[in-house]
Amino acid sequence: MDIFANLAHGFAVALSPINLLMCLIGALVGTLVGVLPGIGTIATVAMLLPITFGLPPVGALIMLAGIYYGAQYGGSTTSILVNIPGEATSVVTAIDGHQMAKQGRAGPALAIAAIGSFFAGCVATVLIAVLGAPLTKLALAFGPAEYFSLMVLGLIFAVVLAKGSVLKAIAMIVFGLLLSMVGSDIETGASRMAFNIPELADGLGFATVAMGVFGFAEIIRNLDAGAEMNRDLVQQKITGLMPTRKDLIDSTPPILRGTVLGSILGILPGGGAVIASFAAYTLEKKLAKNPSRFGRGAIEGVAAPESANNAAAQTSFIPLLTLGIPPNAVMALMVGAMTIHGIVPGPQVMQKQPDLVWGMIASMWIGNLMLIIINLPLVGIWVRLLRVPYRLMFPSIVIFCAIGIYSVNNAPVDVILAGVFGLVGYWLIKHDFEPAPLLLGMVLGPLMEENLRRALLISRGDWSVFLTRPLSAVLLAIAAFLLLLTVLPVLRAKRDEVFTESEN
Amino acid sequence: MAETMGHSATATRNTSVAIGFCLLAIAPQIFEFIWSIGTIFGWGAGRGPATVLISHATALVAGAPAALIAAAGGDTKKASSDVLLALIYSYPILAVAIVTLFMTIRSAQDYVGGVILMALALFALWASSDLQGMRGFSFGAGTAPRMFGGLLVALSAGIALTGLLTDGPGMSHYSWRGPMFVMASIVFFALAIRPLGLVVSAFVSFMIAATGSHETRWVEAAIVGACLTVGCALLFPYVLGLPMPMFPRFLNP
Amino acid sequence: MTSIRALATGACAVALASLCAFVAPAEAQTYPTRGITMIVPFAAGGPTDVVARIVTSHMAQALGQSIVIENVVGAGGTTATTRAARAASDGYTLITGHMGTHAASVPLYPKLAYHPEKDFEPIALLAGTPILILARKDFPPKDLKEFVAYVKANAEKVNAAHAGVGSVSHVSCELLHSILDIKPVGVPFNGTGPAMNALVAGQVDYMCDQIVNAVPQINAGTIKAYAIATPERNPSLPNVPTTTEAGLPTFQAQAWNAMFAPKGTSPAIIASLNAAAVKALDDETVKKRLLELGSVIPTPAERTPEALATLVKNEIAKWTPVLKPAT
Repeated sequence: MDIFANLAHGFAVALSPINLLMCLIGALVGTLVGVLPGIGTIATVAMLLPITFGLPPVGALIMLAGIYYGAQYGGSTTSILVNIPGEATSVVTAIDGHQMAKQGRAGPALAIAAIGSFFAGCVATVLIAVLGAPLTKLALAFGPAEYFSLMVLGLIFAVVLAKGSVLKAIAMIVFGLLLSMVGSDIETGASRMAFNIPELADGLGFATVAMGVFGFAEIIRNLDAGAEMNRDLVQQKITGLMPTRKDLIDSTPPILRGTVLGSILGILPGGGAVIASFAAYTLEKKLAKNPSRFGRGAIEGVAAPESANNAAAQTSFIPLLTLGIPPNAVMALMVGAMTIHGIVPGPQVMQKQPDLVWGMIASMWIGNLMLIIINLPLVGIWVRLLRVPYRLMFPSIVIFCAIGIYSVNNAPVDVILAGVFGLVGYWLIKHDFEPAPLLLGMVLGPLMEENLRRALLISRGDWSVFLTRPLSAVLLAIAAFLLLLTVLPVLRAKRDEVFTESEN
Repeated sequence: MAETMGHSATATRNTSVAIGFCLLAIAPQIFEFIWSIGTIFGWGAGRGPATVLISHATALVAGAPAALIAAAGGDTKKASSDVLLALIYSYPILAVAIVTLFMTIRSAQDYVGGVILMALALFALWASSDLQGMRGFSFGAGTAPRMFGGLLVALSAGIALTGLLTDGPGMSHYSWRGPMFVMASIVFFALAIRPLGLVVSAFVSFMIAATGSHETRWVEAAIVGACLTVGCALLFPYVLGLPMPMFPRFLNP
Repeated sequence: MTSIRALATGACAVALASLCAFVAPAEAQTYPTRGITMIVPFAAGGPTDVVARIVTSHMAQALGQSIVIENVVGAGGTTATTRAARAASDGYTLITGHMGTHAASVPLYPKLAYHPEKDFEPIALLAGTPILILARKDFPPKDLKEFVAYVKANAEKVNAAHAGVGSVSHVSCELLHSILDIKPVGVPFNGTGPAMNALVAGQVDYMCDQIVNAVPQINAGTIKAYAIATPERNPSLPNVPTTTEAGLPTFQAQAWNAMFAPKGTSPAIIASLNAAAVKALDDETVKKRLLELGSVIPTPAERTPEALATLVKNEIAKWTPVLKPAT
C-alpha cells in the first residue's frame, strides 16, 4: 500500500541524526515550556522561530512540532503539582490531578498523564497518516453555525464538570464569557470594557487569568492561617511513584475514550483541542458508577482529558498538512516558519513536500516515544519537589509565574492583572465558586460570540440555521440532553446535595 | 473551615453586611477618586480629584434621580457616563444593601458572594452601556456583553436568593497577610522588571513574597532567593531565548 | 539544544557585558556602535515579519551590527507602532510598518496615539505584496467583469470574508466596495487562516487577500482568483490577469512593508540605514526569497526616504475616504 511506502519514507527522514536531534530538542523544550507556569506554547514557538531560520526546513518544523506536543505533556505537570494549568487544555487536569497530589498520589497522576498522552499520541499519529485526507472534510463541514453549537455544547460540559452547585457553575461560565468580551470587538473594532487601557485593547490573556485564579489564588489560600497543617500532611502522605495495577485498569477505558474524542475534536480548527479535554472529562464523569469521586482525586479525571488533549494536539496538524490552513495560533506560526523557508503550505503540500509532511508525521511518533522516556523518570523528581517546604516553594512559584506572564507580551500590566485575578480567585474560593468553568467560559466565549455573529450575518439574521443545519442540530440536541441529565438529578436530590456539601 | 452561621445571623451582623454593600455600591467612584489623585503629580491623564468628586456626587444625588424622572416622562436625552454609573451600578447595589437590613441571611457565603458577583455584572453592564446594540439583523459590539451581563445579574440574584432561603456555610475567614505580600511582590515585579531588570526584581520580589508567610526563615529564604534568581537569569533569557532586561538600566550607558 | 553552548556563551556575555558597562565610556564612534532593535508590529512568521527578517538579516551584515527583531503584537499593530514612535530617536530602535500601521490606521483608529507622517522618519520601502480578488471555487462569475456585474446585482446576498477589522483583507475589500459602490455583508474572521478556511469550504463567497497564502490554494483549484490589483502580472501567478486587463483599472492595492525610525533621528543615520536597505534589496538571495513570497521589489526610485514619505502621504489620502464611513 502507498501508505507504508510513505511512512517508510517518513521514518527514513525523521531518523536522520539531525532530525532526531531536532525532535529531541523540541520534546525537551516543549516539556520545559509546559512545566514552567505562564510561558505558553505560542509565546515559545514565536520566540524560537528565529532560531529555526538557520536550520533545514524539515528539521525546523520537526522541532517546532515537538515543542507543541511536548508542551501538552509538560502542561499536566504544573496542573497536578501546584494547581496551575499552563494551557487551556490542562485546566481540567488540574481539577482531579491536584486533588490526587494533595492525597499524596502525585506520582501515579503524573505517570498516568504521561502514559495516556503517549498512547493517544501514537494513535493520533497513525490516524493522521492513514485518514488525514478524508478527515479534512470534517474541518470543512464545520461552518459558523456548527461552531456555535459546538461551543454551546462545550459550555454545557463546563457545567457538568463542576462538583458543587450547578447555579454557581453557570454563573461562573457567564462571568468567564463576560471577561472574554473585554477588548476590541471583532466585527466593528470597537473597544469594549477596556477603559482606555492599551494593554486591555486585545483582551485579557488566558495565561493572565489562569495564573491569577489558579496559581496566585492557590498560593494566597495556602498562606491562610490554619492551612499549614493540611500542607504538611500532604508532604508526609506521598506514597508510590508509579500507578498501581488497579490504577492502570481503571485508567485504560478512559484513555481509550479520551483518545477517540480528542482525535475527532482536534481536527476542528479553533477551540477543538480545548473542548476535547472538557468533553473527555464530562464523558467519564457521566459514565462513572460513582460520579461524586470526580473532583476529589479520581484517576479517570486525569487519564481521559490528558489523552484527549494530546490526541487533539496531534490531529490538529491535519488541516495544516492536508489543506495548508493553520487551525490555531501555533500552527499559524509554523506556517510562518515554512514561508520563511520558501515553502508555502497548501492543499498540495503532501504531494509537493513529501519529505516535510511524512517526516513530520513519523517524527511525531518518535517524539512521543522520547517524551514518555523523558517524562516517566521525571515523575520522581517532580514528586520530590513537593517535599520542598512550602515557605520556600510559594515565593518561587510567584516569581516563576510573574516572569512567565511578563514574557508572553513583555507587558508589566499583564503581571499586575494576574495579581488582581489572584485576589479575584481568592474571593472565588472563599465563596465556593469554582474557577474551572470560569476559564472555560473565557476560552470559549470569543469563539462562541464570533461564530454566532458570523452565522447570523451569513443567514441574514435567521436564527433557524442552528437547527436546520444537521450537524449543528445534532450538537445542540446533545447539549440539551446533557443539560437535562445534569439538572434533573440536581433538582431531585437538592437536599442530599446540600447535605453532602456542608459536610466538607 | 466553614463555621456554620445559619440562623444565628444577628441584626448587628446584618448592619455590617449592609454597610459593606453601601461601600461596594460606590467602590468605582472611590477608585476613580483615588486614581485621580495621581493627576496632581502629573501621572496619567484624566480628571482631577476635585472634578471627580463633584461630578460623581452630583450624579449620585441629583443627576441620576433627574434622569429617572426624565426617562419616566418619555424624555430620552443621553445621560452622562457618571449618571449612568449611578443609575446602572450604584442604585441597584444600594437597594440591595437596604433590603439586606431586613433579611435573615441563612448562608452568608452564598448571599455575599451572589451580591458581589451581581455588582461585577452591573459594572459590566455599565461599562458596555456606551457600545452599539443590534443593527438590524447583525449584532452590535454591545449586544453580547449586555446579554451576558443581564444573564449574570439574574444568576447572581439567584445565588444570593439561595443564601437567603437555604441554610449554608457562613463567611469564611479572609486573612490579610498572604494576599497583601503576594500582591505587593507581584506589583513590585511588574514595576521593576523594565527599569531594574530581571536579577534585581526577581530577588526582591522573592523576598517580599516570602514575607507573606510567618514560617519564613530569613537566611534560608535569601539563599534560595539568590539561587532562584541566578537560575531564572540563565533559564529565561538564554535557554528559552526570551528577550528581557537583565540588569538595572542605569548600569548600561 | 541551544542550551549548553548558549549557556556558556551567555554566561560569558553576561560577564563581559557587565564589565563593559563600567569600562567602555560612550565613545563617539560612527553609527551603529551596538545592536539595533527592529520592532515588528505583528506575530513572528506573519507576512510583515518574514519580509523584515529577510531584509534585516542582510542589512545587519552591511551595517556590521546585529539587528534583533522584537515582535510586539496587539491592536492591529498600533500598540507596537506607538511604542516605536515614543522610542529614543538614536537609530537603535526601528520599526517595520505596513500599509495598516502607517496609513489605514489613521482613519480606522480615531484615538491613534501617533501620526505616521508626523512621528516617523521614513527610511525605505522594502516590499509590496499584491492583493488578489479571490472567490470560492463554485462562485458563479467566471471573470472579473462577470464578478463585478454579479456582485452589483446581488449586493444583498453575497458575503465577503475578511481577517478582522483593520486587516489588509478588510481594508482592501472596503476599497473594492467603495469603487463598486456597494455595501455587501462583511463576515469577520480571526485572522487570514480561518478566513481562507471558510472560503475553501464555500461558507463565504469572496475575499480580497495578500498573495502569499493564496497561491497554493489557487494552484490546487480549491479557490479561484479573478484578478491581481497591481499594474503587472505576478510571476508566481502568471495566469491571473491584472485588474487593468480585466476591466477594473481603478482597483489598485498593495500591502506594502517599509522601515521607519522615530521622528528626530539624524539624517546621517537615516542615510546609512537607507543605504543598507537598498543594498539588501539588490542582493540576489534577498531578491529571490522576496520573489518567492510573491512580493514586488520596489524600483530604485521607490527606495528613497522621500519616495516613502510621499507613499505614506498618498496612502493616507487614499484610505481615509474609504475607511472613514466604515467606522
